[in-house]
Amino acid sequence: MAYALEVSALSRAFTGKQTVVALENVDLKVKEGELFGLLGPNGAGKTTLIKILSTLLLPTSGTAKVLGYDVDGEASKIRPLINMVSGGETSGYGLLTVRENLWMFSQFYGVPGSVARERIDGLLKAFGLEDKANAKVRTISTGQRQRMNIIRGFVTDPKLIFLDEPTLGLDVTTSRTIREYIRDWVRARDDRTLLLTTHYMREAEELCDRVAIIDRGTILACGPPAELKRRMNHASTFVMDTTSFDPAPLSAVRGVKGVSADEIESGKRVRLVLEDESAISDVISAVVSRGGRIVSLNKVEATLEDAFIEMVGRGLG
Amino acid sequence: MAVSAHLRTFRHAAWLGWQMESNWTRPWLFMIYSIARPIAATLILVVMFLVVKQGVANDPAMFAFTYLGSVFFMFVAQVMMGATMVIMEDREHYQTLKQLYIAPISIRVYIIGRAMSKLLLTSVSVVISIAFGILVLGLPLDLGTVDWPLFAAAMALGISCILAIGIALAGITFLTAKHSSGINEGIGGAFYLLCGTLFPLTVLPSWAQAVGMAIPLTYWLELVRRSLYPGSAMEAISGLGALGSGTIMLYLVVSTLAFLAASTLIFRYADRRARRAGKVDMTTSY
Amino acid sequence: MPLNLRAAVGRAYPRVIGALREPSWTFFDVLLPLLGIAAYIYYYRALGAASSFEGFVVLGGAMTAFWLNVLWGMASQFYWEKEIGNLQLFLVSPMSRMALLAGMALGGMFSAGVRALSTLFLGLIIFDVHMTVEEPLFLAAVFLVTLIAIYGMGMMFASLFMLYGRDAWNISNLLQEPIYLVSGFYFPVRALGPWVSAAASIIPITLGLDAMRQLLFGEQALGLLPVATELVILCVLAVAFLVLARYALRYMERLGRKEGRLTLRWQ
Ligand SMILES: Nc1ncnc2c1ncn2[C@@H]1O[C@H](COP(=O)(O)OP(=O)(O)O)[C@@H](O)[C@H]1O
Ligand SMILES: [Mg+2]
Repeated sequence: MAYALEVSALSRAFTGKQTVVALENVDLKVKEGELFGLLGPNGAGKTTLIKILSTLLLPTSGTAKVLGYDVDGEASKIRPLINMVSGGETSGYGLLTVRENLWMFSQFYGVPGSVARERIDGLLKAFGLEDKANAKVRTISTGQRQRMNIIRGFVTDPKLIFLDEPTLGLDVTTSRTIREYIRDWVRARDDRTLLLTTHYMREAEELCDRVAIIDRGTILACGPPAELKRRMNHASTFVMDTTSFDPAPLSAVRGVKGVSADEIESGKRVRLVLEDESAISDVISAVVSRGGRIVSLNKVEATLEDAFIEMVGRGLG
Repeated sequence: MAVSAHLRTFRHAAWLGWQMESNWTRPWLFMIYSIARPIAATLILVVMFLVVKQGVANDPAMFAFTYLGSVFFMFVAQVMMGATMVIMEDREHYQTLKQLYIAPISIRVYIIGRAMSKLLLTSVSVVISIAFGILVLGLPLDLGTVDWPLFAAAMALGISCILAIGIALAGITFLTAKHSSGINEGIGGAFYLLCGTLFPLTVLPSWAQAVGMAIPLTYWLELVRRSLYPGSAMEAISGLGALGSGTIMLYLVVSTLAFLAASTLIFRYADRRARRAGKVDMTTSY
Repeated sequence: MPLNLRAAVGRAYPRVIGALREPSWTFFDVLLPLLGIAAYIYYYRALGAASSFEGFVVLGGAMTAFWLNVLWGMASQFYWEKEIGNLQLFLVSPMSRMALLAGMALGGMFSAGVRALSTLFLGLIIFDVHMTVEEPLFLAAVFLVTLIAIYGMGMMFASLFMLYGRDAWNISNLLQEPIYLVSGFYFPVRALGPWVSAAASIIPITLGLDAMRQLLFGEQALGLLPVATELVILCVLAVAFLVLARYALRYMERLGRKEGRLTLRWQ
């Protein structure tokens, strides 16, 4: 099986007034044809990893191979095969139309004119942006702009595409359009690989063949969402409603040994991941001893989010 | 609004302006930048003079005429640039214009306060240029004979007039996008051409002379030159020789008042238009 | 069509379109230099200079369009592209960075050319300036090589300023009036003396202007060197700046990747 990405012992530090270690000793392998997700909170190092893989940033140590080529020495062999889109980016020139902007970026990859035109038309249709094709970029909305950016990534027909938080801040419908396209794109041919970062748990669970959970520059776990959830089987998940009391329920239960927790509704509802179910009595006494009352307590099916909470020790907010 | 409130705004804005002017990562670059550009612009004129006249001594009065005109015009160019920059920067870069706008202070006083640091820096450039002119280029200027009271009066009126123009420009800047940063240069260029800055008004076509005679800067430059060169040397070439200094002072006062009134009207109008069109917090660069 | 040609055309496109789509900017860009030109022409008239001096002013005024474009459309451009988020997308693409810069230069030359031509045309008409083109081919050669050389210089600065944003802006600002002075935009550069004019000749616009003045105004241009010599030096400068630009680009891109400064934005 060929690997689209092979990352080993990769570290990246930023030296400035104080040194920030954005990635530490990361090992990762992504197979060709995979839809792979990087899941992590803000500042985890997701964007840094994408920048290294897309040849914008050099590793401090370790190696990374993209489609078999080394990011340090063989960047020029990697670039024709990849593309990158980040959510919230503002690319292009405001006085060009959407179509012109897409055409311009396709030219940087040498796409022949007629092929570019055909692809742009198809993609505009797929993303419901045909009616804005001839609108100047400075006049379109944020969501339309983001769809244009994603089209820009696919218009060069890359073998490997990096999408950094592609649905950041988008409404439900637009996000769904994008997700569906992403999935279909990877499935359409078996030599297409897609690496996606997100901090939406649902997105990762729904879309990805495999997910790596990353926090503070290290990869905590990696596997198919189902497997990550299965790893949780020894643990149990509860949703607990309480009356409000001081300190907040979340901080009260977080002090209990063997319990990771995340807030679902502020001051009222928390999600608990227990390493051992017997810890539930400690949770109850932690609430009651602080003057709170339990309104309900339900055991629930584990989700990817629970796996995440247990590993990172907190939720994604 | 109380005078004390205006004073407070003024002090605060002047301090802020200075911070922004001097907050450069490399002070030496800042110094070169503030001083080298205007001085280079003056030196271009010096070389043009020398190419034609072969030496300052061949026509010292004309040399002094151009040199002083060019040096004192720095005040106009710098303040006009400063006034438009205040609006652009506060609106687009720091995006603080809207807060300022709703704060209970006079924007005009704020703009004047911010312009102070420009005035101060320009004064330094002017003094350096004149010293350079005297010491290196042979500018015939005798500080002992200067008519200081006339100079002071002319400067006071001239600077007020320049500030009035600056405020009007700031008002217009409210309404324009960033790309037309040319507005200050455009209007500045017109003044440069029409106010007898480099050459006597009489060289211009007569319609242009008439326009020049309606702009207070023409009289300001004339009085500055006359105060620095008492006697008839400047009057003889300027084309305003028929008018006594008192008359010119009167023209300067009247035209300055007219410009102040116009500036107030323009600013008010621009202010209303900007609010109505929602342009106070627009950003035009992306 | 090969990749890099496509890329250059792609990058030139917004510049050409921009000049056509926003004619109001062009209007301003033509009007402003005319005011300056008028002031200098009347100044020469007041000094009683020969009429050819007025021609020098019009020529210099027209050429400022290209110089300003080199400063603001080339040298500080990568910094600006970084600010608006385009630089990283340019750099992940497989095109040669020289092709990108060449596209910027070609597009810029077009819009600057429109401005220069209008300035020249209006200047000649309004101020009744006469020039005689006796050796059009020679003139065209000098003009083209000058353009290549100054844009090559702009390409070099663009690479150097890729990582030094604010300074790029400040230095571009600094290179206006001081360069108009030392490069002799409005007078024969020989007036500055042999040392200054020799030093200023490292900036290609200096010899370019001098050679064009000689070709348009003959003896009165007080040329620095024979035109043919100047053309040879300009060719050398053009090649040198292009080669330097290429190395500067490689070096700065690598340094940027190492230090993480190609994408200063939050993304
Ligand atoms: N150019 C940079 N200079 C200094 N620190 C940086 C730079 N880029 C990222 N970082 C730091 O590296 C860490 C990881 O950032 P990033 O990869 O952007 O996280 P994510 O994309 O997961 O939110 C953060 O602490 C961030 O502040
Ligand atoms: Mg990120």
